Amino acid sequence: MSKRRSILALVTSAFVASSLALAGCGSGGSARTEGGKTVITFWQQKFEDYQQTWFKKEVDAFNASQSKVKVDYQVVPADTWAQKLKAAQAANKAPDVQTTNYGNIAAAAANGELADLDGLMPASAFADIKDNVKSFVTIGGKHYAYPMLVEPSTVLYYRTDLVAAAGLDPKNPPKTWDELIAWATKLTKGKVKGMTIASVAADLGWSSWGLQYNACGHLPIADDWSKSNATEPCYEKLLQFYKTLYQGGLMPKTPKVGYADASPYGQGEVAMMADGSWAVGQLKETFPAMVAKTAVAPFPSIDGDQTKTTATLGGWTLTVDAKSKAKAQAAGFIQWLLAGDPAIMASFFKASGFSKYTVRTSVDQALAGNPDATSDPFMKVISAKVVPYGKQEPAYPWDIALDFGTAIEAAMKGNLSIPAALKKADGQINDVIKKQSLAGTEPTH
Amino acid sequence: MALLESAQEGPAPADPTTGSDRRARGGRRSRATRRQDNLTAYLMIAPMVVLLGIFVMWPLVYSVYLSTFKISFYKAPQFVGVQFYTYVLESSDFWHSIWIGLYYALLVVPTGIVIALLLASFIKTLSRRVAAFMKVTIYLPAVVSTVIASVLFTFMYQDQGVVNWLLSLVNHAPVAWLNSPRWALPAIAVPGIWLGFGITTLILLAALLDIPESYYESAMLDGAGFLQRLWYITIPLLKNVLLYLLVTGFTLAIQMLDLPLIMTNGGPVGATSTPNYYIFNSFRDLTPYATSYSLTASLLLFVVLGTISIVIFRLIRSDKAVDG
Repeated sequence: MSKRRSILALVTSAFVASSLALAGCGSGGSARTEGGKTVITFWQQKFEDYQQTWFKKEVDAFNASQSKVKVDYQVVPADTWAQKLKAAQAANKAPDVQTTNYGNIAAAAANGELADLDGLMPASAFADIKDNVKSFVTIGGKHYAYPMLVEPSTVLYYRTDLVAAAGLDPKNPPKTWDELIAWATKLTKGKVKGMTIASVAADLGWSSWGLQYNACGHLPIADDWSKSNATEPCYEKLLQFYKTLYQGGLMPKTPKVGYADASPYGQGEVAMMADGSWAVGQLKETFPAMVAKTAVAPFPSIDGDQTKTTATLGGWTLTVDAKSKAKAQAAGFIQWLLAGDPAIMASFFKASGFSKYTVRTSVDQALAGNPDATSDPFMKVISAKVVPYGKQEPAYPWDIALDFGTAIEAAMKGNLSIPAALKKADGQINDVIKKQSLAGTEPTH
Repeated sequence: MALLESAQEGPAPADPTTGSDRRARGGRRSRATRRQDNLTAYLMIAPMVVLLGIFVMWPLVYSVYLSTFKISFYKAPQFVGVQFYTYVLESSDFWHSIWIGLYYALLVVPTGIVIALLLASFIKTLSRRVAAFMKVTIYLPAVVSTVIASVLFTFMYQDQGVVNWLLSLVNHAPVAWLNSPRWALPAIAVPGIWLGFGITTLILLAALLDIPESYYESAMLDGAGFLQRLWYITIPLLKNVLLYLLVTGFTLAIQMLDLPLIMTNGGPVGATSTPNYYIFNSFRDLTPYATSYSLTASLLLFVVLGTISIVIFRLIRSDKAVDG
């Protein structure tokens, strides 16, 4: 008996000690201060190098401009972002301000993660947002994020010198998917592949949204999120398009970088590239020699109709965490950086080589006098022929996008036939709808 | 504990003629020392019990409790009972990942042990100086970080990498090693074997050196060939070491995370989505659903791994080594 009792005593004391230790880990109280200044943490997802430079400079300027708030600026790489954020949320240490993309706002707001900015920022700040972007950050009439920029996700880049050498007309880029495949076939020579486009599910999940719209006029889910539409025959054509590019050896089968990175094109490994408008910035910054040999066109359409959507308008915003202990200060920083003096954001677009689009009327006005802002030949094409037909990123949980991306990848790599891949995605999307109780929860603006 | 107690209770009263008072005194003393020893023993295991309690038992119990809730870090958690257990068990992706883990372990563990056994037998025949050099060489991969190995092998598997260059000599290149659902898992198993066989070889070498030479000598006198010596002497005497290597190797291999994470990101189309990668990846999803789901999946993986270890133990009955 005595042995059992002492073991019990030991185990109990172990539990008590551990509970005390765990209880000690909790945090509470008021906002962190340092030398009389309220400290707010700001996590920025790592983007192109010039962006980190710009953010660092502006955060320093903000910290120097006043004596009440200090912004603690941290850059978090994209591939560790989600787990780092989740771990921080679990420990009640989520950053006060963070970069959030348009696609994630609805889900985060529904889960109560984001502070409503209406009471924290002046109404004039929201009035300055362009009309086509307003709905991106508004849910149920409330603003949960302040937009920073807009960038179309899918544009066609091609090498005019290689195109001419292959006997094709650089002034007349492909307009249909079939023409694009014909071009890619002619341009695949030796070590240079005709094309590069996403080939892994995680990239396909989002980069193909525009082409999903293009193929079927909608995304593979009913408008009220009640059921999947992934088995519609129009999607088979989309999967066939990707499959032909991949299995025909028209694109690199072992890409070294993800879809968003324009390096393979910049290094001359491919003759054409599907990438977002941000690639213009990367080419100017890192591969300036390529700029003169490059032309940009709207991505080809399923039937050649160039007024059909080929790209979603993605982009980034800043949000305030719902549990932040310094919401007013956090919103104050966003107001200063994104919604304040238009010259600050104008300097950002200048640094980006005008490869992204403004979201505020006043920033457009500030840039009106800058000839570079309007004269860039690439951005002229993208503004006139891609953005007007671009759609907002979907607000449904990422799992659904990933399931569809997996279907495209399975078809490309020959795991499953196209109908079987779509059928599997259909089942998985319906499963997500059921298990996450999504039916009827689509956000209203 | 049993050992301590039997040692205390072992000696019987020495002389039946010495009277009951002596026996009583002896009994009192033994009870007192026993209590003393028990106290010492408890004190000695206490730090481990406390640490296990804090870092293993409590998190485990608390995780099981949490797995019955839909966890949100921003809203009140909602009690859902065993709902997430059914979600995980119903998920074909979860079972697929267990299969991938087993397949990876099957590729890595037996191959690793066979290579290690061959290398260890070879080193045993070498002179002391050469053997020392070989041991260092073979152990080197074990000190290379998995991350570096992953990056190295990723480069080797590129279209222009050394593997495809070798294949091009026989006109078979290029194979998209890491991007083909068929080849991706075997391709990541190669660095898995490479990283592991250093330690396995050293353990097997130590076990081989422990087998008395006289066994081999008498077997050779009786005319036993190499294979007979291997089958009747070496392998039976290595049984416990091999069992250890199999069990630890299997449980480690099924839990592989770094190689698929860095080399293939679980792809292509889930072909390298090992159980730990699958759980990690569901955790990375930002929905509250994913938090509870990945927690429940990891608890179920714990059950699956435990079952597999029990099966291996049952299949290979562990005997006490016959001491030489």
